[in-house]
Amino acid sequence: MIASRLKKITSLWVVIVLLLFVISIILGILMRLNQGDVIQLSPVTFYTDMTVHGLTMISIWYVAGMAAVNFIMERYVTTSKPANIIALVFTLIGVLMLWASTFIGKFHAGWTFLYPLPFKEMLKAWATPLFLFSIAVLGVGWLIWCVSLIAGMLKKYSLAQVFAWQYFRKGPKTETPPFILISMITLVGIVTCLLAAVILLVLLFAEYFSKGAFVNDALLIKNLTYFFGHTIANEMLYLGLAVIYELFAEISGKPKWKTTWYVALAWNCTLFFILTAFFHHLYMDFVQPEGLQILGQLASYLASLPAAGVTVFSIVVAIYRTKINWTLANLLFFIGVMGWVVGGLGAVIDATISNNFVLHNTLWVPAHFHTYNAMGNVLFSLGFFYWFSFQFSNKMDDNKLSALKLFFLVFGGIGFLAAFYIGGADSIPRRYSNYPDEFPLAKTLAIIGGSFATIYLIGILLFFVNISKRCVKILFSRSS
Amino acid sequence: MCKNLILPFILIAFCKFTVYCQPTSGWQEEVNIYKQIYNAPITLINGEQTSIDKLAEKKPVIIALVYTRCTGICSPLLLQLKESLQLNKNNNNYTVLVVSFDSRDLIPDMRQMAHLFNLNNNSHWNFAITDSINRLISSIGFKPVWNNTIKQFDHDALLVGVNSQGYISKKLVGLRNEKELELMIGSINNVYTPTYRLPGQNTLFSCFNYNPITGKNKPGMGLLLIALPAILSILLLVVINKFVHRKEEV
Repeated sequence: MIASRLKKITSLWVVIVLLLFVISIILGILMRLNQGDVIQLSPVTFYTDMTVHGLTMISIWYVAGMAAVNFIMERYVTTSKPANIIALVFTLIGVLMLWASTFIGKFHAGWTFLYPLPFKEMLKAWATPLFLFSIAVLGVGWLIWCVSLIAGMLKKYSLAQVFAWQYFRKGPKTETPPFILISMITLVGIVTCLLAAVILLVLLFAEYFSKGAFVNDALLIKNLTYFFGHTIANEMLYLGLAVIYELFAEISGKPKWKTTWYVALAWNCTLFFILTAFFHHLYMDFVQPEGLQILGQLASYLASLPAAGVTVFSIVVAIYRTKINWTLANLLFFIGVMGWVVGGLGAVIDATISNNFVLHNTLWVPAHFHTYNAMGNVLFSLGFFYWFSFQFSNKMDDNKLSALKLFFLVFGGIGFLAAFYIGGADSIPRRYSNYPDEFPLAKTLAIIGGSFATIYLIGILLFFVNISKRCVKILFSRSS
Repeated sequence: MCKNLILPFILIAFCKFTVYCQPTSGWQEEVNIYKQIYNAPITLINGEQTSIDKLAEKKPVIIALVYTRCTGICSPLLLQLKESLQLNKNNNNYTVLVVSFDSRDLIPDMRQMAHLFNLNNNSHWNFAITDSINRLISSIGFKPVWNNTIKQFDHDALLVGVNSQGYISKKLVGLRNEKELELMIGSINNVYTPTYRLPGQNTLFSCFNYNPITGKNKPGMGLLLIALPAILSILLLVVINKFVHRKEEV
């Protein structure tokens, strides 16, 4: 029996995430329209929007995955409600601080806040420290949440069991549910990248407050930035996958998926390789030793292939020539996995050193990460939100409306992404607030991208209204 | 002749052990890098009228800014440059242009200077004066300061590398070894040099520490910091595991 308090907290997470998502999409559309010369934003406003858009998206889809994992984990172990609430409060405070530093203080160094950009003059002197503090607040809340969930799992499972190492021997006596294995692998990865963020912030604060007496090493800061940024952006996808491993079969009316030796091996490999894949962000940093560049390419392949392989295999086995109870939730999971795979392929293409010489900092980069986020991770979480909101309601959804919502999402999403991919293949650079005439296709593609993103937004708004109504009911219900 | 050479030798020895690589105005080699040098009209000691761009078009140029009445770094700079270039056998595609930044210097003064260093007949070397010295040194970022007490300029020992397109591709402040001159010759010939680190006293936790004498990088503390999060998470995992199970036992 899921505790009423957890239902309410999860409902609150769902509403907040969807609300912030709508705002962030609007910022994204405004950026594309500005690039297409449809509207005129000042460069500072454009980069402020870009900073808010990127960081808010990362934050909300990370917490969405965490909220889903926390909710389902209650089936196996007792989770800490105070930790969940602390994370919620810290996330809200962190996002508000972030928005104040950007919208009021005009901090506009991008979501990667690459060194030494944060130390350049912003509109307000307090913008940089407030921005750094906002990241610190978010990180502390999330770290507490992660540690509490890890502690919860370790109370029930031993270290070997939680990583499913017993499957590497013959005839394992104890069972580790795939959900527990993937959650643990992911949470350990998240803790590691949050610790990287702690070191990063300490170094940035040290430079900021020393007033020039201490200067950071640019290579170290870039490595730490991507250790944190790249890893968390990937780990949040795995939170969604943990949910799929638990719910896909259940919603489809199939037997629960079980851990096997190859599932255990694939996910254990993923833990190691995902922590070293970030080196592919430094291919253009020629001071980085060549060995780390090669490790970056190998880890990028090895981090994505085993996890994707076993997940796709499991889904194909589950649906191939069998009768499936298709609902909007498992359809979203299914399409989300396809989006994740396509985006993953785009990422692996870019992470190949020889290709990166051509694709680096072109629109190919937002193309692939928007694919596995907008058409992957977002759908994982939407699937969970939809399932969650119907768990505590007797009303069934209208099938026609479901099809319409899905159409808007898929049609809008594909068009929006295609504009990015074509731009990337045409070597159009990313992060330009305005495109010069040397890129004749850029403006047209930006308008096309912005238009399709608007269709995607309509789909999200339909989901938002539908799911939020139910979640607000749960939030204010008296039932246990 | 002998006197003119002994003094520079003593000065070189002094500089190497005391003020090695120490410029008067801090490390500013990066100032105006990749900017176009002012195309100053110049008069060579053979009377030829030309300009920096025209000279650079023929061969990339290393510019040494000196003045003939200098009792300080100018002679050691030229002597060291001459010796280092003699050791360089790899790439001869360059010209050295010695330009006076003192408006009192005339062609005969520069001719005398070339003669003293036995460089008047060396095809790699040109000695010249210009009437646009202020614009030239301003485009380089070179700031000599006149000291009225000693009647001398307070200035850096500066070499400026200019490629065939007239861009400043590298600067060397102070008396530098032949390896660094090789890098400069490579740079003005548009040969890509991966990296070298500018020295800085306040940079802690570098991933690599560059040794300007050996020209090699050694792993630094920063690399350890990149590995630290993974080590800390393993420790954290072990601590949480111990903690939750001890609590259960209690």
